[in-house]
Amino acid sequence: MSDVIFQSSDLATKRTEVLEAARKGQARVRDKDGTSLVMLPESRLRLLEALTKWWQAYMKLEALLHKNELPRAAELGELAWLRVFDRADFQEFVSELHDALVAANADEDTAVLDECIKAWRVTARQLEDPLRRSVLNGPFVSEHYIEANEPHGAE
Amino acid sequence: MAPSSAYDPNVPAKRPGSKPDRRPKYRVLVHKRFLSHYSELADRVGIKQAQQFWDHVSQDPGNPDPIAQTCYLRGQAGRPKGPGWSRTIHYEVSSSARIDYQYCDTYTTEPDGDPHPVVAILTINYSSH
Repeated sequence: MSDVIFQSSDLATKRTEVLEAARKGQARVRDKDGTSLVMLPESRLRLLEALTKWWQAYMKLEALLHKNELPRAAELGELAWLRVFDRADFQEFVSELHDALVAANADEDTAVLDECIKAWRVTARQLEDPLRRSVLNGPFVSEHYIEANEPHGAE
Repeated sequence: MAPSSAYDPNVPAKRPGSKPDRRPKYRVLVHKRFLSHYSELADRVGIKQAQQFWDHVSQDPGNPDPIAQTCYLRGQAGRPKGPGWSRTIHYEVSSSARIDYQYCDTYTTEPDGDPHPVVAILTINYSSH
């Protein structure tokens, strides 16, 4: 945390210093009524928001995992897309989410977290269809595969 | 287009639209239940993108495509189908066409068969995400 606390009047007289402090991480400004305000790079704010959101989600999912039955859509809320997974996949998602959160926190970058969420969402959508689900989750049976005939395009 | 025959390891898959510029390194197989989807690919996404997909999987299925987005499926759906098989790769041919495949560099149809590289198209999904 920065030791320097700017006054609200510094926003006019020390504009460059305030912005430089904010650019480096954060600029603390004391308002006239004593309220402490912080200016920080937007990317940092977005990181903190994302980490908060997904740590909360992780804690909720961890709690749901301790129940005997898999969580219902209503319990999952905006994470209801997870309902297509069986318990093993659900546990794997929660474990990978934890790893991604720790990595994102250490990296100060949500790239690994974003990739994790996207890949699991894609997987969930692929599993929504019973036929796709049976092929993706089933064993490889060579007799089920054939050569593809050449499709003829409209172009 | 109707399925023609069961998988014959001596017959390579066909490239959509025209002859490939390079000899395919991998034979391309399609799950029977998605053969009709595959036959629609060029009409659905255009011949250029269909060929780009085919060229990618027949030449270099294990590396990222320079244009299309790919990712590994997670959980059981993403695990290799057996020894030597890759994880399941999710390939976005377009915003409304996605293909899941695995590849194996040493695939054999029989225990003492001749190992050869194949790509198995597991599923094709034409619904937009």
